[in-house]
Amino acid sequence: MRYLLSSFCLLFIACGSYSKKHDFQIVKSLNSRIRNSYFSDESKDYVYKANITVYDNDFSGIFIVKKIGEANHRIVFTTEMGNKVFDFSFIDDTFKVNNIIEDMNKALLINILKKDFTVLVKEKTTVIKSYSLQDTLVYETVILNKKYFYFKTQQLNKILRVASGKEKVTFLFSEINDTIAHQINIRHSNIKLNINLKLIN
Amino acid sequence: MPKLFYILFFIATAVNAQTKMGSTEAAKLKAKVKAHAASVKTLLSDFAQYKHLDFLSNDIVTTGKLAFKSPNTVKWEYTTPFKYAVLFKNETLFINDEGKKSNVDIGSNEMFKQLNTLIINSIKGDMFNENEFDISYFKKETNSEVYFSVKHEKISKYIKVFHIIFNKEGHVVELKMIEPSEDYTRIIFSNRSINIPLSDAIFTQ
Repeated sequence: MRYLLSSFCLLFIACGSYSKKHDFQIVKSLNSRIRNSYFSDESKDYVYKANITVYDNDFSGIFIVKKIGEANHRIVFTTEMGNKVFDFSFIDDTFKVNNIIEDMNKALLINILKKDFTVLVKEKTTVIKSYSLQDTLVYETVILNKKYFYFKTQQLNKILRVASGKEKVTFLFSEINDTIAHQINIRHSNIKLNINLKLIN
Repeated sequence: MPKLFYILFFIATAVNAQTKMGSTEAAKLKAKVKAHAASVKTLLSDFAQYKHLDFLSNDIVTTGKLAFKSPNTVKWEYTTPFKYAVLFKNETLFINDEGKKSNVDIGSNEMFKQLNTLIINSIKGDMFNENEFDISYFKKETNSEVYFSVKHEKISKYIKVFHIIFNKEGHVVELKMIEPSEDYTRIIFSNRSINIPLSDAIFTQ
């Protein structure tokens, strides 16, 4: 119990500090939910050329996202020549590995990708607090027990995962046209992992 | 019941506009393809690659040029919708990803070596190795189609069967690699030039 209590205090301090440190001004919640519409059209095949850097190793290939149904997405990564590297399903908050090559079949890596891609495709998430930062609205939320800040100027252009008052993962959406982000970058601060996606269709 | 059987049989025949080849005909095709493959010193061809994933609305189409030089140098160069080239040469994989160059030593990787051999053999069409494949032959209008079911346990996890369509001359016009999930990669070759001089510059990156 004491441990739990101190964990809560720590969590509170940790979360409070990031927004304070960056001068976020609390505003009355404008929306109860924040939307990420970048993978929300079931009729569309989202196909990106991907460059992934993991600990100085470069991989490239084709990154495919498809919305199959409500809160149901499929993500497949293949080499340029068409060989599947991994194939994941995200249904509600469940995650399933349909296929992964032996070299990448490591629990640690799969867990990182699961967390990143869950955020990438999650369309609606409950807002815990809202802030303003100059002309940007910032929404605080929790996904898979991790704290995130969604930054929205005209569109959603950044998502941050924060822990212990520090940025852990940054999702950047740019060259946004309607509800399609032509460029997406997912960068980790604590591990050498960087994912660059460039729309090709 | 017999009626239903006939209907089903008719549908099956109508859908598969191809018939199984007799053994004499199959032997002839095999000999023709092998002779042609042995005579190929260089090959240059355009290709269109269709990646089919069952859940997608459309196949992902990429196009480019293929260059081959005997005995085992091959370059796949994608030009649309992105620029990407991969060159298999001297047990090394040279990659040029929109100007960013890297290479992978595949000398120590058995799986890569086998895949490379498979790719080269499939371009030429000469995969008639009964230790490695279960082979079946079909007639498809004026062309022939051969199914090569992979016996190798590790490789069959990625590709379970190769379908190769040969034209009358025994040249590969289409290559389809089917995964255990039934998703596949289909490559259609066009504008083929055989045994024309290819400069070394093509095989450097």
